[in-house]
Amino acid sequence: MRPGSSLEIYGSLLLGLLLYLLPWAGVGLTFRPDFVLLVLLYWLIRAPYSCNVGMAWMMGIVIDLADGSLFGQHALAYIVAAFLALMYQRRVTLFNRLQQAGFVFALLIIAQIVLLIVKLFGGDQPSAWTYFLPSVTGIMLWQLVIYSKIKVSGDENRG
Amino acid sequence: MIRRVTVQQHPPQAFFVRGPSPFARLIFFSALSIVLMAVDSRLHYLNEVRQGFATLLYPLELVASAPVRIYRHVNSYFVDQKTLTQENARLTTFAMNQALDLQRLTNTEAENAHLRSLFEARQKLKPSTELAEILHTGRDPFVHKVEVNIGTQQGVAPGQAVVDGFGVIGQVTRVYPFTSEVTLITDKSLVIPVQVARNGLRAIAFGHGRDNTLYVPYLPTSVDIKEGDKLMTSGIDNTYPEGLTVAVVTRIERDPNSPFAHIICTPAAGTDRRRQVLIITGSLITPPSPITKKASHAPRQ
Repeated sequence: MRPGSSLEIYGSLLLGLLLYLLPWAGVGLTFRPDFVLLVLLYWLIRAPYSCNVGMAWMMGIVIDLADGSLFGQHALAYIVAAFLALMYQRRVTLFNRLQQAGFVFALLIIAQIVLLIVKLFGGDQPSAWTYFLPSVTGIMLWQLVIYSKIKVSGDENRG
Repeated sequence: MIRRVTVQQHPPQAFFVRGPSPFARLIFFSALSIVLMAVDSRLHYLNEVRQGFATLLYPLELVASAPVRIYRHVNSYFVDQKTLTQENARLTTFAMNQALDLQRLTNTEAENAHLRSLFEARQKLKPSTELAEILHTGRDPFVHKVEVNIGTQQGVAPGQAVVDGFGVIGQVTRVYPFTSEVTLITDKSLVIPVQVARNGLRAIAFGHGRDNTLYVPYLPTSVDIKEGDKLMTSGIDNTYPEGLTVAVVTRIERDPNSPFAHIICTPAAGTDRRRQVLIITGSLITPPSPITKKASHAPRQ
């Protein structure tokens, strides 16, 4: 499998960041998937040698800056998800698409739970159930991207 | 001992060189994140760092918001004449009404100045304001914050009040060189001292955090508040100028089992629909606080 050049990786991360920075509002904001984490997970699973926990941490810090939120909370959530992705990376490449989607969904939820715990420690009140909607839209977006010919696992006919 | 021997016999050799293991990285970066969070939340050392990096991120934000700005720009070209005439008529009536008020205001101001000089009271300055445009709402849907397009370069400082034509919108909570963050009065973390316009009763309004409302706790069930009462800023907090409309009481529940009335209000200002807001940048002249100065100047959060 072609591991993906660094230009592709950084380009897609930048694109994810730009999508995140779009002036979302109202319902769009409630449904907005976590683009950056999705891109990160994609590269962590597909090219674990050129993308690691440190990169996830950096992107988390950038998100915290853009967000104006507490420094390090997104970073912590992202590195937990990134670590789990790396730990099961070899198995995930053997999964079929449905299993992969389930795995990625679990990671998205875990990242959100870590974020929620940090926020609760920071004195926030628990949010409504819609807090987890971005994971649902995120996994839908993931499926859309995967079905549009970009494959995570290398066992199919694309090199 | 035995363990060390075995290690020497079979030196661990990774098949691929990957640097530190993911687990080691996880531990390292988690520790770093937790330290950062602690420093940021408790010690507030990172404000300058945040300002610096946020400025680096500003061009990216401009690029990201470009599509929306272009859309608005293009959209403004295709407004039909009927809408424009209607808006013009509405604005003219509005301006006429305000002109009438303004004539009375000059009169009242002169009278007020005279009375104040009689009392030898300090003159209140007209606060200077700065027009700001909302760039985007907060990134977190559960936090009621907006980002506006002026910052420290234009004289914005944390703690300043933000208003629109109808009332108080919120307060500046964080400033960057070119942008600043405004916490809306409906946010859970914002508290604003108010006064009922009808009878001068003082109270404190808290942001509800949900449904774009505020609530007024700690008032007894027998309190003299009616639905439709206007809540104004009382001005005793040295932050908001006196007499700005904050909210209108929309619902009161007087539960006999509870010692306090449950009062829900809706903000008078369009906290969720304005695009332009005014930031009150000039300092308000207020009598010296009986409490220590340091405490009174800290932004209310």
